[in-house]
Amino acid sequence: MKAKRRGPLHAFLVETGGFSMFVGRFFRNAFHRRFEWREFVRQCVLNGNGSLPLVAVTAFIMGLVLTVQSRPTLARFGAESMLPAMVAVSVVREIVPVITALICAGKIGSGMGAELGSMKVTEQIDAMEVSGTNPFRYLAVTRIWSTTLMVPLLVILASGIAIWASWIGVNMKDPLSWQLFYQQVIDALKLGDVLPALIKSFFFGFVVGAVGCYKGFTTAKGTEGVGRSAHNAVVMASLLIFIIDLLAVQITDLLGLN
Amino acid sequence: MKESNPEPVSAGHSQEKVLSLRGLQLAFGSNKVLRGFDLDLYRGETVMVLGKSGSGKSVLIKCIVRLLMPTGGSVDVLGHDVLTLDQEELDRLRVRIGFLFQSSALYDSMTVEENLRFPLRRHWMATTPGEAEALVTEMLAAVGLSHTRALYPSELSGGMKRRIALARTLILKPEIVLYDEPTTGLDPITGKEIVELILELQNTYGTSSIIISHDLHVARLAANRIALLHEGRNYAEGTYEQFRASQDPLIQNFFIFM
Repeated sequence: MKAKRRGPLHAFLVETGGFSMFVGRFFRNAFHRRFEWREFVRQCVLNGNGSLPLVAVTAFIMGLVLTVQSRPTLARFGAESMLPAMVAVSVVREIVPVITALICAGKIGSGMGAELGSMKVTEQIDAMEVSGTNPFRYLAVTRIWSTTLMVPLLVILASGIAIWASWIGVNMKDPLSWQLFYQQVIDALKLGDVLPALIKSFFFGFVVGAVGCYKGFTTAKGTEGVGRSAHNAVVMASLLIFIIDLLAVQITDLLGLN
Repeated sequence: MKESNPEPVSAGHSQEKVLSLRGLQLAFGSNKVLRGFDLDLYRGETVMVLGKSGSGKSVLIKCIVRLLMPTGGSVDVLGHDVLTLDQEELDRLRVRIGFLFQSSALYDSMTVEENLRFPLRRHWMATTPGEAEALVTEMLAAVGLSHTRALYPSELSGGMKRRIALARTLILKPEIVLYDEPTTGLDPITGKEIVELILELQNTYGTSSIIISHDLHVARLAANRIALLHEGRNYAEGTYEQFRASQDPLIQNFFIFM
């Protein structure tokens, strides 16, 4: 008998359904009384602390490059004094949250996909389950909570670093005191800039953890499958980050926060 | 020898039934792996389930601990109907059933000591650190690998991994142990050592066991009774001697290399 060929639409629907069920399972287990605090703290340290150097360096470069590259354009319109405000708003609202989330998708999401995928194909997850430990609560819930909390924290830190780097960029041309620069940044930033960015960072973090764990838990076909899970975790998380960002822009626009 | 008769044929164990499978069925799509398998296990007894590769032996023991959900039949373990238990009850029952995986399934991010402590910590089996330490020391000594405490699974040989996995399985003092191909992938000498170790530990801790294998040397050394799984059913049951004397061509096929 000839096997039925399934099209990309079928694969998309299966993937969407599988991921939705996985997210539903997370919420059913997320507030369970037997929360794995020890593993959660370990994951926070691993994911937060482990990603900090890369996120910090990237944020520094982003702040510096954006400042240096924007200056000539603003100078052409005589709006050079707007540089701190422009950089602060663009960095806090959009660039840092999205870039940080993408870095985390690449570093944390792929790591989770590979680690859990490897545990799955070597029966370590089954071993955990038959020893009476709920592997979903122990492995997935703790990891998803940790990224949901750590990504916003990384975004806050990265925003600070990018703004500091911007001040260095401004000073490369004309000296400007930190106090004056800082005052201009604070004056430019409104709650409508900071709050949506922070809220969407929680969603970005959730997506990074959830996709990484989903891909890990659904790994099949041995070691080849592990590599594919890591790769697919990055692709799927990155795509969802952009979709969430698009939705966030629409929502803030509807609420008049833009 | 009795065909498809689950009555015990050997002495040396009690008549208390600790596990009973009736009409067990499992299908993956149109592929019917188990088609009404019956088996009983008595306290202190060792039953070996013999079958060709791909006959569904591993699937069978995964159904016993509900790693796979049967599509029909019943699984009674230590007086509990496994298929109707809720998750909490199932987790409690699983602590009383040990499972040795073919791949050993040691947690590769943990040292040998942490692998052994993990189930203890999860189930509060050791109330004090001293008690946990004593149990870990006892089990490592029992498998003759006290010196590997600080090593990671990647630093162990196949035989050593199997021994540590056995120690981890037995540290919770289970009443029933399920062994999935305990000697597969090992050289004959190490395989024999593992079987002798299983027997020794079984005598020490008084467990009942089901061993899945296609290796009749294991049956000769360890099993009170053999059940032949063929086309999803319990084709025949008997002692090693009864199987050896059988004129059934299907059974004789297993003795080709002996």
